[in-house]
Amino acid sequence: MTDALVTRELCKVYQEGSIQVTAVQPCSVKLSAGEVIGLFGPSGSGKTTLLSILGCILRPTSGELSVFGQEVSQLNENQLPEIRRKYISFIFQAFNLFPALTAFENILLGLRIKGVVGSEAEDRTAKMLQEVGLGHRMHFLPRDMSGGQKQRVAVARALAADCPIILADEPTGNLDISNGRKVMELLKELASEKQCCVVVATHDNRIEDIFDRIVYMEDGFIRRIKRSNA
Amino acid sequence: MGFLVFGVVLSSSVLGVLHLNNKLDSVMFYVAVRILLYDKARSLITLIGVIFAVGLIFNQLGIFLGLMETSSVIIDNTPGDIWITSKNSKNFDFAQPFPEYTRHLVLADNGVQWAEKLIVAWGIINQKEGGTEQLEVVGFNVDTGVGGPWEMKEGSTDLLRNGNFAIIDESAMARLGNISVGEYRDVFSRRLQIVGICKGVKSFTTAPVMYMSFPLAQKLVNYLPSESTVFIIVKVAPGVPVKGVANRLRGLLKGNDVYTKSEFSFKTRYYWAVETGVGFSFLLTIVISFLVGILIVGQTIYNSTMEHIKEFGTLKAMGADNADIYKIIISQAMINALIGYVVSLIITFLTVGLYDAIGMVLSVSWWVNLFVLLLTVCMCIIAAFISIRRIKKIDPAILFRG
Repeated sequence: MTDALVTRELCKVYQEGSIQVTAVQPCSVKLSAGEVIGLFGPSGSGKTTLLSILGCILRPTSGELSVFGQEVSQLNENQLPEIRRKYISFIFQAFNLFPALTAFENILLGLRIKGVVGSEAEDRTAKMLQEVGLGHRMHFLPRDMSGGQKQRVAVARALAADCPIILADEPTGNLDISNGRKVMELLKELASEKQCCVVVATHDNRIEDIFDRIVYMEDGFIRRIKRSNA
Repeated sequence: MGFLVFGVVLSSSVLGVLHLNNKLDSVMFYVAVRILLYDKARSLITLIGVIFAVGLIFNQLGIFLGLMETSSVIIDNTPGDIWITSKNSKNFDFAQPFPEYTRHLVLADNGVQWAEKLIVAWGIINQKEGGTEQLEVVGFNVDTGVGGPWEMKEGSTDLLRNGNFAIIDESAMARLGNISVGEYRDVFSRRLQIVGICKGVKSFTTAPVMYMSFPLAQKLVNYLPSESTVFIIVKVAPGVPVKGVANRLRGLLKGNDVYTKSEFSFKTRYYWAVETGVGFSFLLTIVISFLVGILIVGQTIYNSTMEHIKEFGTLKAMGADNADIYKIIISQAMINALIGYVVSLIITFLTVGLYDAIGMVLSVSWWVNLFVLLLTVCMCIIAAFISIRRIKKIDPAILFRG
């Protein structure tokens, strides 16, 4: 299996006034393409910080991070967007859709940023909306959609980009159990089909069986990594 | 409602040509327009703020420039190259008299083609219903017309010869009531017949301007010494340098000040603008309007940015550069600036007539329009920078908050 994300002694320390807070203690993990990894832990355990570093939107204080073999921890603010465009898609708990844009436009905007243009972008957007069951809501604004539908748009936006890494923060947090499971199954299917590395930070124990591996975090430490029973 | 319709039409046409599949720059502009149209109430408030701020700048600047034009309008419209005044005269309106024989000294210079005397003095006119009003009296040589009215609405300057006759500017009617040719008015307690109405002559003080022959003015203005004038206007012979003649006259006339026409026009404007503090007062209002505009636009764009901060953060997470997101913010600011400017310009043009009706001049020349446009764009760009600073420092953690 290809290594999608590899960390070596990756650590993040925040300076709060005169106090240093270590959000992520030095950790070394390998996350492979085609894997669905669950990042579990209580609030404040460092899941979100680790996810931000893995997504190249936050730089580590020390240690190394490589994305598909490319060392990125030393890249500056101007070089990181290129890595994100090429490799990484996000799904957020709060969906983070532009309220002024329709479902179709939200996805198309994401694709444009990723560099996909022309009819290919439009076709891919339409296809992805059909796949998440929102073909009939393409031109609806987020305010006219339910929480579940909005999350599906956010998922479609992440999937449409065809990035090899998908990082999701509580993607089922605003969904009922049935919709939450559907979203996770969609991600699992994609990981297997397109050999994506999917990392999901979550509290939701009901979807533990979806993951190939589960990483438990506490106080910034990775306490254990276990293979799922499923 | 006009500007709302204008805004909607402009935005619709912009949306018509833009599409999310255009270049990324156009895409960001498209997103900016969609955000503005989505947040209608906020956009309207911003736009009204811009219109008020820009409208105020237009008006203050227009009135100020109008006053400046008015203050030197007679100098600027009088033929001749050089103005001679008494020593230390501050401006056109408050010049002191000096002996009229000075004219002969002036005419002795080989470079002088002609020299004419002109009286500008303050007088009192009786109102029809009783009471009096101050007016500015201009006494000129009717034979040459130098210093006289340059545009007649009714009557002729020829009629001023040989009698107690006067011409008054139409703008005087705002202060003196309706005046028609043929009627009589008491000026300096002397009954004068109005024989003409002229156009375009206004004084900085808004006092009515009345024209009469030089000898009549000399006789009526009781505070003038006999055989005196207030100005001598000189025309330099063709091909002779004006500055050279002016310098020679300066050397010759020790008791007088000698100015070229443009110098005297500037001196008069400078007096009213700077020495009286009028200019500073207008400048202060313009600066305050500019700052208020920055605050209004800055605050509303900042609020809008904060409301969409997660979406902007998401764009960054998807791989957009900071510069891409700045384009959205700048586009919003520029759209507000341009729509606000155009609406203010239209309103300003519509109010020109209103100002005219109350005897004031609102100057809206092309360079004023261009200057205010630049000011408006600066105002909105500065306002946008408050939001841009915020975008630059987006904390990734906000993306993950539920």
